[in-house]
Amino acid sequence: MNWQTVRVLFSHELRMLLRDRRTIFVAVLLPLVLYPVIFFATKSTTERREKNLAATVYKYAVTGAQAEQVREWIRRGAESLARAAPAPKSGSENLADFKFREITIPDPAAGLKAGDLHFYLEGLGGSEADALPQKESEPKREAAVETAKSSAPDPQIPAPKRLPGVPMIRIYFQGDRDDSQAGSSKMRDLLGRVQRLERDELLIARGFQIHPDQVMTTADTNVASAAQVTGSYIGRFLTLFLLIFLLSAGSIVAMDSIAGEKERGSLETLLTTAARRGEIVAAKQLLIVTVALLVTVIQIANLLAYVTFKLIKLPSNWTIEAPPATILTLLLLFVPLAAFTASILLMISAYAKSYKEAQLYFFPVYLISMIPALAGVLPGIALRSAIVLVPVANVSVAVREIMVGKFDWPMIAAVFAVMTLAAGWAVRASAKMLSNESLITASEVDMADFAGGSALFPKHVLRWYAVMAVVLFAVALNVPQLSTFRAQVLFNELVIFLGAALLMIRKYRLNVREALALRAVRPLVWLGVLLAVPSGLVVAIGVFRLANLIFPVPERMLEQFSRDIMPKQVPFWQLMFFISILPGICEEIAFRGTLLYGLRRKLRPIALVLTVGLIFGLFHVALFRILPTAFLGVILTTMALLTGSIFPGMVMHAGNNALSLWLGVSGYPLGNLTWPWYLAAAVVFALAFYILYRARTPYPDLRPQTSDFRPPTSDLRPPTP
Amino acid sequence: MDPVVVRGLAKTFYDEARGEVKAVQDVSFECHAGEIFGLLGANGAGKTTTLRMLSTILAPTGGSAMILGHDIAADPTAVRKCLGFFSASTALYPRLTARETIEFFARINQYAGDVKQRVDYLVERFGISKYASARVDKLSTGMKQKVSIARTVAHDPPLLIFDEPTVGLDVLNALEMHEVIKEFRAHGKTILFSTHIMSEAEKLCDRIAIIHAGRILACDNLEGLRRATGARYLEDIFIHYARG
Repeated sequence: MNWQTVRVLFSHELRMLLRDRRTIFVAVLLPLVLYPVIFFATKSTTERREKNLAATVYKYAVTGAQAEQVREWIRRGAESLARAAPAPKSGSENLADFKFREITIPDPAAGLKAGDLHFYLEGLGGSEADALPQKESEPKREAAVETAKSSAPDPQIPAPKRLPGVPMIRIYFQGDRDDSQAGSSKMRDLLGRVQRLERDELLIARGFQIHPDQVMTTADTNVASAAQVTGSYIGRFLTLFLLIFLLSAGSIVAMDSIAGEKERGSLETLLTTAARRGEIVAAKQLLIVTVALLVTVIQIANLLAYVTFKLIKLPSNWTIEAPPATILTLLLLFVPLAAFTASILLMISAYAKSYKEAQLYFFPVYLISMIPALAGVLPGIALRSAIVLVPVANVSVAVREIMVGKFDWPMIAAVFAVMTLAAGWAVRASAKMLSNESLITASEVDMADFAGGSALFPKHVLRWYAVMAVVLFAVALNVPQLSTFRAQVLFNELVIFLGAALLMIRKYRLNVREALALRAVRPLVWLGVLLAVPSGLVVAIGVFRLANLIFPVPERMLEQFSRDIMPKQVPFWQLMFFISILPGICEEIAFRGTLLYGLRRKLRPIALVLTVGLIFGLFHVALFRILPTAFLGVILTTMALLTGSIFPGMVMHAGNNALSLWLGVSGYPLGNLTWPWYLAAAVVFALAFYILYRARTPYPDLRPQTSDFRPPTSDLRPPTP
Repeated sequence: MDPVVVRGLAKTFYDEARGEVKAVQDVSFECHAGEIFGLLGANGAGKTTTLRMLSTILAPTGGSAMILGHDIAADPTAVRKCLGFFSASTALYPRLTARETIEFFARINQYAGDVKQRVDYLVERFGISKYASARVDKLSTGMKQKVSIARTVAHDPPLLIFDEPTVGLDVLNALEMHEVIKEFRAHGKTILFSTHIMSEAEKLCDRIAIIHAGRILACDNLEGLRRATGARYLEDIFIHYARG
């Protein structure tokens, strides 16, 4: 590395950047103004909302057979509020500034809809409530009051069963109206207070010796200092915010740096100079790191200035302490984080053929980068675990620990080393991309654009899967009709996976047999598949348990997931069809069919297997499922490449799902297997793949695994004296 | 030893749509010192790929080449240091001035002499002093062409590679380009020149290699090619070889 050359390149890049007014405006000036504006706008909106709600006199109506009794309870609650008498409070009660007025209205439901009421109550007698369907008559926690409060109840505390004959008050409100929601919530709290008052009186009347509140009292003492409390809040999000700043500021420079140069044609000019690829990348990397850090420092200083001048108010119990040791340690981690971020941005820029293409790649990378940065937010992850090996996630967890004064020096050193190595690897990869002819020049005409049809498919295939992923997520979140188990599986499998694959085949006029790898295999292959089904499942569980060491999945989440995919009301044969047969066919057609076919020439076999596996994993939505399903995806893709056929993968996929379903339904404790089981499964699994390898009929027309570059023989070198 | 010696040079790359593509196959030739050597071929014949390999932008997949005694695979930095590469696709930096452009390329190519003096000389030589302080994106095509040539020779390299330098130029600018190339030859530079324009090759080149479908089909001076084919015009000579 010639540092003189790097210096010349760096000052050249900096000069060009400083002359680009748009970049300076977007990267520096705009965020400088925008962030405080957003902060102020959010703060002022929240304050105005709170002020409005505090000033609101909530209008309600009471209806139903027990209307009078309900009015009496409300009157009692109002008295309790007016007296400000000590009342048995629940932890979440919020009755400050609660003003309410009953109005008489013939049709409360219409009044609520028209906005004349904020909410209305319906008092039901015990027999009326008993007649309701069971689900509706179950009480909500804290009070036998029907409400649709958004916060989820704590599943640790079981809700008491409603006894027959107990009256019920239903609160009707409009969930899309802020004031209706807030008013109904306060009324629920008020009725809860009345419920507790009546309970206490009843207890005393029935001979309870002391006031129920005197059974026991509790007092909290927080032994953490104010600085530690503040640090624990800031530490969880600091890496995430820093990463957002680094990516936002760095991207503007990075995208222009290589992708922009390609578009303008100046990259080829630069590559013909005496500067080495590594020197060019190092100078660009330095520039991105410099700008990203500079902009980040400016933004933080900007926010601190607002805090110092009290324009932004921190919570009253916050105390920010920044001892030099903390600042230096944070810097020690943030500098390689900035270098790594810059390297990733540079890689995107080097990979893209144009500025526009680079921007297209940037967005998903931006989102994906946020995932490891969230590690600090997740509870239960300690730095002294396998997380230390995961770039970005390790910084996030380390920063959280440092901010509460916990300095685990060997682990901090390990984080620094991992981040530095990761940044170095990314820089190397960027430099390598500058030697890839298809990535150097943007002006080359792509023949596929002219040829169209199947020639265009490899270029478009990833876009299709991106759209499929968006549809899958969007529909799952927004279409309630498809939220049931059967509807969701049918939609995903038949419309998204099978439908899209068939659409691709039709649009690009693909040969069905080739695109879906519909080829016969040697008989011996089926023996390999038979062995791979059970052993693969056990190995996949082992992979999940290993992943669990890095990202521990709460047991509750797993149980919920298990309930979701194996609903008790669905018969076993239907579960088999929905979970085993349909995915075995449709997902294989989508992933080992069209996706594999589209990427077969784009990527070398190892990268191909990993990419198809990862995309397959990403489609399994839940974060904790990505790694094990990606592992299964890798196995299935390897199977397709070895056999050149989709069929063994279909049988393996369906078999794996069927076996895990059967074991799950029969209650076999798969998660409690001991290591000899995993070892034995791994041996059988290896044997299965050995059989597949021996009986292989490889997938045709793959990109060769080895690089096509062979160092030329230097037969023209002058003879050495 | 000749400044450029190429032996069995090959480039095979993998295209997503087309699979394996042999862009250049077994190309061999040598350039003598102080001559203009022309690579004549149709679009897609392999001219640009060959020149990009010689300028070490691309790595060859077979064969070898020595540029002024440096192996293109073993010592690419030394190779690039002693050559100037000009093509229609090698653009300038729009936000630099003409003077800054020349100075940057002199420094980055490690020009051994006084950079300021060299820049002054080139500004004077190419008649760009009037707009030397103007940003490149404000210059006309002709002005940009002059700045481009000046940046190509900013470090005074002994070998110049011109890859279809007149593509997109009007007649006057193309003529000026021809004059400049001849002048470089007169100053003892070795010039490797590619074109698909027959008249250009006829007019400029001391020797011509006809390249087609990635292979060199013939290599000689114009007289030699005429003798070998019996055709008078280069166009006929080219057709003779290209059609086999």
